[in-house]
Formats: sequence, structure tokens, C-alpha cells
Amino acid sequence: MLAPGSTARRALGSDHMAGWLFVAPAVVLIGIFGLVPIAWSAIMSFQANDLVSAPSWVGLANYQALTKDPVFMASVRHTLVYTALFVPLSVAGSLLVAWALNRKLRGVRFYRLAVFVPVVTSTVATGIIFMWLLDPVFGLVNYFLSLVGLPEQGFLQDTNQALVCIVLMTVWGWLGFDVIIYLAALQGIPQELMEAAQIDGAGKWSSFRNVVLPFLRPATLFLIVWSTISALQLFDEIYVTTRGGPLGSTTVIVYYLYQQAFQFFNAGYGAAIAYVLFLAILVITILQLKIGAQRVYGKS
Amino acid sequence: MRRKSIGIVGLLALVLAAVALTAGCGSSGGDTPASPGASPTGVVNITMWHGDIDYAKTAVDALVAEWNRANPNIQVTALYNGGSDFALQKTLTAIAGGKPPDITYLFGSWMANIVKSPKVVLLNDLIESDPSVDWEDFWPTERLAATVDGKIVGIPALVDNLAIVYNKKLFDQAGVGYPTAEWSWDDFRAAAKALTDPAKKQFGWAYPADGSEDTVWHWEAMLWEAGGDILTPDDKQAAFNSPAGVQALTMLGDMATIDKSIYLDVTNTKISNVFNADRIGMLVTGPWDLPSFPNVDVGIQIMPAFVNHQTISGPDNWVLLDNGEARVQASWEFIKWFTAAQQNLTYNLAVGALPLRESETKLPEYLTFLKKYPGVDVFVENMNNAVKARPTVPQYSKISEALGQAIVSVLLGKADAQTALDEAAQKTDAILAVPVP
Repeated sequence: MLAPGSTARRALGSDHMAGWLFVAPAVVLIGIFGLVPIAWSAIMSFQANDLVSAPSWVGLANYQALTKDPVFMASVRHTLVYTALFVPLSVAGSLLVAWALNRKLRGVRFYRLAVFVPVVTSTVATGIIFMWLLDPVFGLVNYFLSLVGLPEQGFLQDTNQALVCIVLMTVWGWLGFDVIIYLAALQGIPQELMEAAQIDGAGKWSSFRNVVLPFLRPATLFLIVWSTISALQLFDEIYVTTRGGPLGSTTVIVYYLYQQAFQFFNAGYGAAIAYVLFLAILVITILQLKIGAQRVYGKS
Repeated sequence: MRRKSIGIVGLLALVLAAVALTAGCGSSGGDTPASPGASPTGVVNITMWHGDIDYAKTAVDALVAEWNRANPNIQVTALYNGGSDFALQKTLTAIAGGKPPDITYLFGSWMANIVKSPKVVLLNDLIESDPSVDWEDFWPTERLAATVDGKIVGIPALVDNLAIVYNKKLFDQAGVGYPTAEWSWDDFRAAAKALTDPAKKQFGWAYPADGSEDTVWHWEAMLWEAGGDILTPDDKQAAFNSPAGVQALTMLGDMATIDKSIYLDVTNTKISNVFNADRIGMLVTGPWDLPSFPNVDVGIQIMPAFVNHQTISGPDNWVLLDNGEARVQASWEFIKWFTAAQQNLTYNLAVGALPLRESETKLPEYLTFLKKYPGVDVFVENMNNAVKARPTVPQYSKISEALGQAIVSVLLGKADAQTALDEAAQKTDAILAVPVP
């Protein structure tokens, strides 16, 4: 037992210590399953490591090889195209949907639920649904296209369309999450401001632009940053549907990383890809936050 | 306050990084002291990881229980590995953790990877000094697939091969005669064309076009049938861009792009459903697929020929890992018994897998097996056509990737067979030129 008033006792009893004790379980778990692998893969990225034989130190060779790897370059391109399509579509789309759902409407709870269901549906199930919908021969989408006299499409079978199909599939799958964020933000807008704008003669569009949008800036910034990070790490949807094909047209960075590490057993090379991606995400996120912070808070 | 908490987090990260570093060094050293095999009581306990669930697991458990009753000194625990698709990663993790199983089920395509682990027990000496294993009784393709550079890495665990599985009803409707054992690929192509009806969304054949090994091995069987080979005999260079390879791939491409008689599945998930819905006349597939077609009255025939009838087989293996002399010896005794003709037939009777050994077909219960699984006799007979095996080189997965891209590009009409194969051959030569550790 510690004597009352001793320094150790005081340290243990302080709020600071208590705080750390409370978060200790989470810190330990995140440490073991998060930080250790992160540090470990940093080491691996400097090794020739096939996960079986003894790894050897190769310095920067993995990173140098990356700069000369056309498949990696293509995967970067696909990832950027995907992100450039996914982020605006999902953020703008969810704003529209949230705006539509933010009103007193018969059955609005049902619509909100319906929008959110895809988020909690497993990616595998989503993947299977879309693979059948987009099947060039038996798919419903081509069936409807033919009904209205439009030419049938190859979709996931077409090297030019596959990535776009993945964009649409993921926007559908993740829209609900963004909608929830926007709905919360929309409901945080003080009603008096809207009324004041109306009294001042602002029309629907004008009050949306001058009252609603500025209030949504923090939420928008969060969603853009969050969606960009998720988009750059796209993997699940590719894994369950196209597996990077056809002919590599949907090979994104993380899928290529997976192929290198677990299909070709180039774990060191895979770790190097992971670190390049990590640094890229870090830089992009910092840029977004810097620019975003000016836009969100700069004026006020 | 704020500064202090950052300090603690920073310290924590530092400690964890140090842990990772030392742990990393530990695993690269790899030499944990060998645990003593036998317990003081003289009983050796060994563990086997397998990939069987459901009725197949029941069959494994029954055999293991039978062994444990008869051999009180060697007690076996059989554990489900959670699905064999990730068995290699799990086995490697267990090796790194210092407590690997004594026996583990691994796909044949991983042999060239696992052989590099110092924990793997090479079986050459055991097989040579122990004639009771009757190694020659395993089918030739199984023995080839278990051997890497002359080192025997595993003992065959499960075998299959590819044959034509066809929908009798669609053949009758189209007035096409059923496939025969004398069919050439031209016969196959003509039948597929006759079975194709765009109005009914009906196809003659279906092909997995995701560029995976599934895309590749179907074509590799065709390559062998045309008289070609995947690599040169010394495994140093590509050999698949030969006239035989071009012939085999051109056949595939023409059927897909000119006849349009192939249902292409770039996601490789839909073929069984579409076949089961009476929309595909023929598949080239293995015995494992038969339970997926409850609605179809299927017939089975060996693959058509270019210059000869061959097939491809994907044998999986039991790999022994070194946990000390006594446990290795015990594992050997058990796995020898477990893969012997009688025990394997008992297992196959329960699950419908093909016999691992030729001598199984001479056992009295084999007739019961044939009766219980109609059509399986063609697959068993077809084992004699499985005379080649995919190269057991550690770079095979990369070569397969290159070949997969070539095959898909021809199937989608993006390239002709010669160009696509030449490009894949160039990549393959480059892959094989890199020295492996």
C-alpha cells in the first residue's frame, strides 16, 4: 500500500493517470494490431522478403524498382482516376440525397433507412448483386437498356467501363454514410437563420447557397478528406468483383500490393508500395486540410 | 499537458517499434530450440491442419479416431484450418510463431514456396527407406506436383482433373450427339456452336476469364493436348508460345470472338449458376463442381484432343513440419496410414473425391464408390491422361499472371494468339531470369 500523500500515490490518483488507465485497453490493442505492423512493414519495405526464407536487407531497392514498374504506375493512374470520380460523385450525391431527406415527409424514416442499408451490407453481397446486375448477357441493366433501344454494354467485361462500374458500385455502397453526416449537419442549421433569409427575400437557391452551404463546410471538408482516404485505399470491391481485371484495367494500388505480397510473395515489395501509398495519403490529407481550413474557417 | 501526452504516445510508439524490430530479428533467425517430441509417458502428440468442413470433416475425424484407438502411442489431433485458401499464410505464421502443426494441408501450387522454409521435412529419405509407402502407387501427376527440384515436399492429399461436363437436355434439344472419347477440339467447337442460341441466351461453353490461375490451367491442358509445354525442360524459359500454344489459344479465341459460343465470366463467379440454369451446353471442369448442378442431367466425357487426349490435375499435399525427431517419425507413420489405399477410399466414399492411388481402383469397395458417385469413373479413368504437371518453380504464380493476361486479351478479342503469347513469353523469360533466394 502506498502512503497517503506520497508522490507515487499522487501520480496514480491524478486525472492524467486515470485517463491513461481508461484508454489502456484500446492503446494496447491498437498498438499490437496497428502500430507494430506499421513499424514492421516499414522494416520489411527495405528487405527482400518472401515470408518464408530468411529476409535479406536490400536498402532502397524495392522503392527504386517501384519507379520502373509499369504495372505499379498503371495502378497509380487507376487509383487517381477512381478517386477523382468517386469523391465528387459521392460527396455531391450525398448532399443531394440528404437535402431531399431533410424534410417532413411521409415515410421519411423508411427512405433514410433505405439509403443507409447498403453501408451495412457486406461488400461481398454488394459485389455479387452488381456482378449479376451488370452481367453483359443475363444482367438486368442490359435488359433495360435493350428495352429502351440502347446498345448493350460490356460493363465489367469491358476494359474501358470496368473502373467506372466500380465507381458507381462504391458510390452506391457508401452514399448512406455521407448522407448521415450531411443530415446531421443540415439539422444543426438554426431555423432562425433560414427564416431570416426568407424574410430578407432570399429564394430557395439563394438561401441554399448563402446559408446552408456555408454551414455545411466543416462536414464537407470532413467527407472529402475521409472519402479521399478510403478511395485511395480501395480494395474489397475490386477483390470480390474484377480482381483487378479485365486485363488489369481495375488494378488499383492496394490490389496490386495484395498481389505482390500474397500472390507473388514479394512481401518486401508489397510493404514498399504500402509505404508509398501511406506517404501519398498523408501529403494529400495535409494539403486538403490546409486548403480546406482556409475555406471553412478563413472567412469568419 | 498536451506536450506531455504526446511524449507518452511517442515513447509508446518507440517501444512498440523496438518490439517489432526484435521480434523481426527473432523470426529471421528462425532457430527456436526444438521442442522435445515425446512426453515422459512415451505418448507422442501430433497435430494435423486440414481444410475439411461438414461431412468431409466427419470423415477425417472418424479416420483419426480409428488411428488413435489403434495407436495409443501416437495421438493425432485433427484441426480445421479455417479454409485451405489461406492455409499457406496461416502455416507460415505458425512457423514464424514457433509452434507449427506437424502436418498441414497445402495446395500443390505452393510447394515451390514452402520448400524454402527450413521447417519443412523433405520426404525423399523417408520414402526411399520405407517401401511400405508404395510411392509409385500415387498417380504420376501427383508425384510430379509434390516434387520441387527433386525434393519431395509433400505426400498427396487430394487429386482431381478436368473433363467435359455436359448438359444432356441441351444436347438433345439441339440435336447434337453427346461428346465421345474420340472428339477433337474441332468437334468440340462445332458442337459448342450448334448449342449456342443468342435468342435463348444459350451458350455452348463457358470460360473463366478473370485472368487467374483458373483461366490459365484450363488452357494449359489444351496446350499439352496440342503437344506443347509451359516451360523448357530446364524450367529456364517459356515454351508456351510454340505453334502448339498458338493453336490452342487460337481455338479458344475463335470460339469466343468469331463463334461467340463461349459465355465469358470475367468475375469467375457465375458459371456454375448459369450452367445449372440450363444456359450452357458444356463445361470443362472437375469432380468438385458436380454437386453445384442439382438441376442438370449431366454427362461426363474426357477432354477433346488436338494431337492427344490430356488433362490437367491440381493435386494438393500434406506437408510435414519439423517439431523434433519423435514427432516427425510419428507424423510420417500416421500420414502413411492416412493416405494408404484403404483409408483414402473410406474418405472418398464419404466425400466423392477421386482415388489418390491407382491400387484403390482394385479394392472391393471401389465398386460401391462408383455406384454412389455416377460419372466419377470417367474422372478416375482420366487420371491416366494427367501425365504432365505445372512447373513447380517458385515464380509460377507470376508466370500464371502473365499467361492469364494473354489468354484474357485473346478471349476479349484484344490481341491475336501469337502476339499475346509472345508478350507473355517475354515477361516469363524476364521473371525466370531473376535469381531467387
